[in-house]
Amino acid sequence: MFFLSLIEHKLRLPPEDLSLPLPKGIKKVLDGIFLDKVIANLGLCVSIYDIRNISGGFIQAGEGAPTYTVEFRMVVFRPFTGEIIVAKIIESDNDGLRLSLGFFDDIYVPAHQLPQPCHQIPDPDRRYKVRWIWEYDIEDTGNPEQYNIDGLDEVKLQVLNVSFPPLPIEQQEKPFAPMLVTVSQPSTDQYLNVVWGQFHGGD
Amino acid sequence: MKIKEGNAGLIINFELLHLLNSRGAAKDTTRVMASVGRSEYKVYDYLVGTVACNQTKEHINEFLEKSQKFKLTKAEILSIINTRPSQLVELDPIMCRQIVEQQEQRPELDMEELLELILQVLPPPPSETEPEPEPEPVDEDNNKTADAEKNVPDE
Repeated sequence: MFFLSLIEHKLRLPPEDLSLPLPKGIKKVLDGIFLDKVIANLGLCVSIYDIRNISGGFIQAGEGAPTYTVEFRMVVFRPFTGEIIVAKIIESDNDGLRLSLGFFDDIYVPAHQLPQPCHQIPDPDRRYKVRWIWEYDIEDTGNPEQYNIDGLDEVKLQVLNVSFPPLPIEQQEKPFAPMLVTVSQPSTDQYLNVVWGQFHGGD
Repeated sequence: MKIKEGNAGLIINFELLHLLNSRGAAKDTTRVMASVGRSEYKVYDYLVGTVACNQTKEHINEFLEKSQKFKLTKAEILSIINTRPSQLVELDPIMCRQIVEQQEQRPELDMEELLELILQVLPPPPSETEPEPEPEPVDEDNNKTADAEKNVPDE
């Protein structure tokens, strides 16, 4: 899910941070620039791992703060295709489900990737949302059990694709997501049964 | 900004949790004094709810040693340590990404043996070991040693 990335960046150290020991001051500026932001085609920056090299420190003409060139390693979040991740459901509508990891909310399960067979019923509590129901016939009795895919469970998913849509030019209805992770339920039938059984309130 | 090395190494969840703990994420209940940012706390909250919170370096090293005979790929080892599958059906999706290739190259891969190794070496997730939530860690002791003591090898 996470990997390290070696990055070099030129930054200005503001005068109020000059009293701090240099690595601390630099880390503070790096945190402000990178944390919780998505770098295109790399991933979501989670944390600064370590600082490898600091050089520079010259004040250029016309500026009031020294410029440093810093080489550092950063922990980046980007699941690879085929990885299994555990997430919680936050939204469910016609097109599928949306899940969250707490720090990352743009994980989508498109409707066709939900475990088959399943159908949707309009959610009695929320107007434009639907609730998906999965019918699974454990003992082949012809009388399938109905499992609610609702917000109580944690779901284990396999990553299909990670995409970085480009910045939109016009305003869109949904808030823009710079990084989208598309997932599916892993393909084995048995697996699905066990997972749902495990997480669905112990049933 | 220049990306010098896009991929400088994979990290398992445990390592990231260890990094955040070493900065004081677990000890500071006010979440103001430790040098951990708000977004990093969100990651910390997520990791604490996974199996990574019960793992120690010894567990990981032991698992890496003992799994060498299975000749697992890095991605498989990573997925296994991160999710700790406790049943054969959970192990399947991790191992069977390219079924044809695997069957040709490693016909002797014994899934049950691998599963048993996992159950034996890696600690279970917190929801299985402790029925009630853990008390807030207010003491000065290192959290990791406290967790290691609480660990009970299961089954």
